[in-house]
Amino acid sequence: MSSVIEQQNPTGEEPADASGGPGHSASLDMRRILDRETHSSRAAAAGIAATLVILFCLYALLESAVRAVGQPPWLVDPQTAAERIVSLPNGIPPLLLGVTGAVVTAAGLFFFLSAILPGRRARHLLDDPRVAVVVDDEVIASALARRARLAANVTSEQVMVVVSQRQAVVNVRPTSGVPVSENAVREAVEDELRSMAPIPMPAVRVNLATSGVIGA
Amino acid sequence: MNNTPRLLNRILIGILGLKLLAVGILLMLLATVPAVGSWWQSWSGDVWDGANRLFDGTRFPGRQESWVWIVLALALVLLIVLMVAWVAQQGKGRADLLLAAEDPGSVPGDVRIGGGVAEQALKNALAERPDLAGATVTTYEVRGQPALKIRLHPRPGVAPHTLTADTSALVAALEAVVGQKTPVLVHVAAGARSRFSRAERVR
Repeated sequence: MSSVIEQQNPTGEEPADASGGPGHSASLDMRRILDRETHSSRAAAAGIAATLVILFCLYALLESAVRAVGQPPWLVDPQTAAERIVSLPNGIPPLLLGVTGAVVTAAGLFFFLSAILPGRRARHLLDDPRVAVVVDDEVIASALARRARLAANVTSEQVMVVVSQRQAVVNVRPTSGVPVSENAVREAVEDELRSMAPIPMPAVRVNLATSGVIGA
Repeated sequence: MNNTPRLLNRILIGILGLKLLAVGILLMLLATVPAVGSWWQSWSGDVWDGANRLFDGTRFPGRQESWVWIVLALALVLLIVLMVAWVAQQGKGRADLLLAAEDPGSVPGDVRIGGGVAEQALKNALAERPDLAGATVTTYEVRGQPALKIRLHPRPGVAPHTLTADTSALVAALEAVVGQKTPVLVHVAAGARSRFSRAERVR
């Protein structure tokens, strides 16, 4: 509310303190936002799970409603379904049963693992005094590839950079007959990384391919 | 940034995953180990008999059907409604207002600034840049406070730190205009839009 007072008083230089609450809680909120941005929300898995449960419920609802009003069943009567399940290893080829079990297990493993794994996204943080910044690893890789390409004097198809949480791997395929200095590439990439300063800082590894590209 | 219920997502997905795992492993054991088959038939047979007794004991007077079916149907409807509510929670948290404050001046009333002000201003300021393939700005509500999310799609090879430094300056200018410090998240994103756009040639 005091932020409007700030506007009327042009000499007031600190809208930061006016925006409500101590700076500590603001930085805590930012910390939380960044935490949420670098980890998956599992919204996709949640959508799939909910859809599965809804479809199953709809089918069971249909059959049990049909049963409640005493109409003939659509696909299978709940009674016969239950009896078949009770006598399970019989009445179905064991191979089909095993494969069904394997598929269900795989689906269960997918959901279970996506629930318990940390779900870290391929993103890095950048330090900025005013705003919180997250950068996709792909963007960092693309920027590093550009620098490596200029340092090695090759075309963009000859450079491939893979950035992971703690490592940046630069693969360069030199043009046949034109030597490429590994140190120059490393220097350039490390210089770019230093000025970018992603958190956590990845270590640079440069791979020069032994075979060159002809006519590039 | 948005208010997706992450812990709830993890718990519910975990429960579903465990159930599917148990069913799948049971099916595989039934198919391979004969001893499990005989155990399953006796155990589930007992359960089924119990259920049958329940159905017999709960018939409508004078009719064949049991009212347990109605209860089951209602429970399923409730489950479906809960699932729909769960899906509706994903990605929630968009806000309309950037600032709502009481005007302390002599004129009665209060001041509200819509999120569209920041969104349009930042989007237009960023639209001119040759090193960007696109930019979107959205207002979210984080713990009751408005916050901005700026998503930048740079062209291939653009250094993200120069981009964010310029964005930071834009945000500072916006804060000076609005008169309030808003938490801002800048997300420099890769995607189809940046991957397939032409690289910036001249700098």
